[in-house]
Amino acid sequence: MSDEQNAIEQDILLNVDDAPQETPPRDSDEPDVGVEGGAQTELNAEIDSLVERIREYSPDYEAPSYSATRLLEVLGEKIQSRAPELIEKARSGPFSDFVDPDTWKGIWFMLNYTIEYQADFFKRRARGEYEVDEWGYDPEFVGLFKPFIEFMYAKYWRVQTTGIEHIPEEGRTLLVANHSGQLPFDGAMIGMAVMQEHVSQRLVRTLYASWFPTVPFVSTFLTKMGQAVATEDNGNRLLEQDQLVAVFPEGVKGIGKLYKDRYKLARFGRGGFVRMALKTRSPIIPVSVVGAEEIYISIYNAKIIARMIGFPFFPITITWPWLGLLGFVPLPTKWFIDFGEPIPTDRYALDADNNLNLVSQLTDQVRNTIQNMIYDRLAERKSVFTG
Amino acid sequence: MGDKTTILVTGVGSYWGAQVAARLLDRASSAVHGRQLTLDDLHVLGVDSVPPSMEIKDLDFIQTDLRNPLLKELFISEQVDMVCHLAFDDDPIPSEGSFDLNVMGTMKLLGACAEAGVKKVVLRSSTAVYGAKPTNPAFITENHALYANHNHGAVRYLAEIETFCSGFRRQVPDMKLTILRFASIIGLTVDTDLTKYLKQPHVPVLLGFNPLMQIIHEKDVVEALVFALINDRPGIYNVAAEGILPLKKLIALAGKPAFPVFHWFAYWGQSLLEGHRGFDPFLPIGLDYIRYPWVADLNRMQDEMGFAPQYTAEEALREFAHQQRLGKYLSIESARKLDEERLRDILERRRRLRERQIISSEDLDEGAIP
Repeated sequence: MSDEQNAIEQDILLNVDDAPQETPPRDSDEPDVGVEGGAQTELNAEIDSLVERIREYSPDYEAPSYSATRLLEVLGEKIQSRAPELIEKARSGPFSDFVDPDTWKGIWFMLNYTIEYQADFFKRRARGEYEVDEWGYDPEFVGLFKPFIEFMYAKYWRVQTTGIEHIPEEGRTLLVANHSGQLPFDGAMIGMAVMQEHVSQRLVRTLYASWFPTVPFVSTFLTKMGQAVATEDNGNRLLEQDQLVAVFPEGVKGIGKLYKDRYKLARFGRGGFVRMALKTRSPIIPVSVVGAEEIYISIYNAKIIARMIGFPFFPITITWPWLGLLGFVPLPTKWFIDFGEPIPTDRYALDADNNLNLVSQLTDQVRNTIQNMIYDRLAERKSVFTG
Repeated sequence: MGDKTTILVTGVGSYWGAQVAARLLDRASSAVHGRQLTLDDLHVLGVDSVPPSMEIKDLDFIQTDLRNPLLKELFISEQVDMVCHLAFDDDPIPSEGSFDLNVMGTMKLLGACAEAGVKKVVLRSSTAVYGAKPTNPAFITENHALYANHNHGAVRYLAEIETFCSGFRRQVPDMKLTILRFASIIGLTVDTDLTKYLKQPHVPVLLGFNPLMQIIHEKDVVEALVFALINDRPGIYNVAAEGILPLKKLIALAGKPAFPVFHWFAYWGQSLLEGHRGFDPFLPIGLDYIRYPWVADLNRMQDEMGFAPQYTAEEALREFAHQQRLGKYLSIESARKLDEERLRDILERRRRLRERQIISSEDLDEGAIP
């Protein structure tokens, strides 16, 4: 039984194998019909005769291909005859490198290495193998974000910085700046200005409002960038460590300004920054930032929404919240950051930070200086976008 | 008998009392901290309502409750010089029972000490009494106001005791009252909020929050308490290990995956589960304590108290992680790597300890030449 079956199977197999050999090679001009049989053979013969009749009138005529198989055959022939020519063309053209297999090998190697390196970076951080200083400053993390801030500084806002030489190369210094722009980009830009333009590329420790630590991601981000919450304890400690500290005494009132109030300085807090400077005997450098007021055009402060989500203010700008996330894209204005003449504090008495008169007087002096610096710059400025 | 220093340790039936009593009576290692103490001039009395679970050699154990009105008589008849008060219930859920032991017990004990003329009292507290707030300075000094979380039993009672002590200190100026505020305690044998938190298979964190944290090793807690007993250091001191770590790094070093939760849901869940037994060990103290920083300033510990913990924060965590990994299957390579890491830590620690001993013995020599 089984032998019989095997014999039949073998027979079939042999027949199948033999079948192509038995059929004679087809003429390439003959249309591929695939099935032999009365009507179709007749039709084919008719077509052939038609073709021959046409050729009698025009000998150059070539019969069109009637089937997909034939079409592919023609295409294959064309490519084979043209391919060496095409490759030659590509080699001699401007993109000759892409034809070279070594280029692709190199790209593959680079990609592989990059992925491996990145994976290693994240693996290492997941294992906790990274260092932060006592304020939480994480240089590796800053490295991840630096290209973005560099782009915003140099290309997007084309920040023009003057007076950077007023910042000493080392030693405690307090930068006091005006605050604007709905989102605290001005702090990042002042930090970038010092990192890029200053000779000793100092890290600026910005003191931020105690509202930011309540916002997820923002709190982590600011801590990892080496910033600290604005309390007098923190400021004093940083200055005593001879760091470069930046404060925005206007606080939330300054950053959430409406467009119609632009460049009008708000109240300068309670003079805490002056007390810090007097106590640690650090010079105060007034800083004016011009251009940041126009990055978002805030027309209304929706206090009810702000209260609902626990924010100190909720700006309605011409793009936010109408365009959704696109509303976060700031306008590409031209920025000017001017560092003013340092105001020394070491000529006052040691306990001058308890002298309320002196504190309020110095606060007003710094505020007026910054206001005047802003007015000077605005008078020179011809256009918001090109300077 | 009269020359002997009598130290009374309360709460020897619980972990900290037993550890401190054993450390005081450990003849071999009491040479640390520059002052030689031998058993001949040290008499250690242990007081608790239950006997200690571990056997402590030479401990003079008296079984009594702390709130016994006759406690004053005991102090006078035994001529107690110093008291280390460690009878404290660390239960996170507030209850009348723990309030009576923690707050009333401490008040009664301090009252008895004042009447019996005890010269020195040492208390154990926590840096959690400062509270975790967004307005906290990056380094909280000892003078900072106490905004403790009032939903956590132990922390609430500690804050209450501390408030009482600040008034008590003024009433009894002759007594040397030392309060040590310890950061979160970690270790192989102790059971604290932090070890419970880190022993979970997935450690919950708040999405987008990564506050800086401070910890201290259990052995350094015992050392600091003994240090405060042997040396005269009245006042309040923050005590924590060297090194400040972001929460996620702390969890990673402990060898655990962090499980982020959106903070609105977390607070909502906390308000539902709070105060129910069985749900409390999810978090160290409260959600605020893994959201905002509550790092204590250690300048006073280093300069005025002169105490230096043996373990750095990273070493304490690596030791803890090693213990946690023991039950798991490890590849030979990673096991070897971990073991190498651990031995390096131990060697480093021993080197530091030797250096310190040389320095403190030099100090002693200088002091001996008048």
